Amino acid sequence: MEKWRLLKTGYANAYRNMAIDEAILYAHSKELAPPTVRFYQWNPSAISIGYFQSLEREVDIDECHRRGIDYVRRITGGGAVYHDKELTYSIVISENHPEIPSNILESYHRICGAIIKGLYNIGINSRYSPINDILVDGRKISGNAQTRKYKTVLQHGTILIDVDVDTMFTLLKVPDEKIKDKFIANVKDRVTSIRKIRGEEISFDKLADALKKGFEEEFNIKLVEGKLTEEEEEFAEEFEKNRFSKKEWNYRR
Amino acid sequence: MKTEYDYKPPNGKLLRISLEYDEKKRIIQNIQITGDFFIYPEEGIEELEKNLRNTLLLEKNLFDKISSTIDSNNLIIIGFTVEDLVGGILGGICRDGKMAST
Repeated sequence: MEKWRLLKTGYANAYRNMAIDEAILYAHSKELAPPTVRFYQWNPSAISIGYFQSLEREVDIDECHRRGIDYVRRITGGGAVYHDKELTYSIVISENHPEIPSNILESYHRICGAIIKGLYNIGINSRYSPINDILVDGRKISGNAQTRKYKTVLQHGTILIDVDVDTMFTLLKVPDEKIKDKFIANVKDRVTSIRKIRGEEISFDKLADALKKGFEEEFNIKLVEGKLTEEEEEFAEEFEKNRFSKKEWNYRR
Repeated sequence: MKTEYDYKPPNGKLLRISLEYDEKKRIIQNIQITGDFFIYPEEGIEELEKNLRNTLLLEKNLFDKISSTIDSNNLIIIGFTVEDLVGGILGGICRDGKMAST
């Protein structure tokens, strides 16, 4: 059975979290790292925005500063996310791996399959909803985003352990101020979390175990816990310093 | 003239378009296309924006310019179609009514 690496990198700030994902992507493309699944968290809580989004149109930057919330632009497309009580995963694997469909939407579906199996392991029935969501009873529990560079796939996404929509929209701008209250009420209806579903929070480690099994089942592999290599640490420092912490990057759109 | 226009295609992602255009010549001077969509490779957005500059603000011209940029850069777009983007670009102008009578 094929062995992939599992990384549990714990809490990091937004710049470093995004830098680690890109470092793994880069290292794997250079054959310096095995296929990797990573579980991580954010400290401080942070906003990430999609590659194509405008930082100033999506994020109340002053409010982020007041509350000590990080903000960062991702190398993946998709929407703005408030990373608070959640498990964030990433997977890095060659585009040519036999388990990865070459069609992008199909590969979203396949990787989300691992998350869906993981949620099932804690008693939650969910389903993939194109383009990039996972839903429980029609409500979003997970958002996902994928990029492909140097013939390598990076997909990362969130699984909501708990959700605070009111705080989320003090930090994120709503599309239309005039209907702000209605918009927020609508989001509250359309988003769920493990806490909402089960009536209690789940520990990060317990959720990580369930998701680890989910990835193993979906891809018929064994995940073996490991660490970032020295090269990856160097790449991560480089990407953190020269990309993700730079104004030019975060404000570029 | 400047417009900002949001367009959410059915089953697609939000397009937020900032457009600067010449009313008399009816051409795009500058355009920024932002939103929660996906383009592969991501750098293709810059090609798209660059190639749209100086394009006539007519449905056919916009459609052809966007399509040829997608083809020549092998772009895969998820979240909107070429028609959606054309509609998003013209939507702000139609809403503001500045060129409707010309």
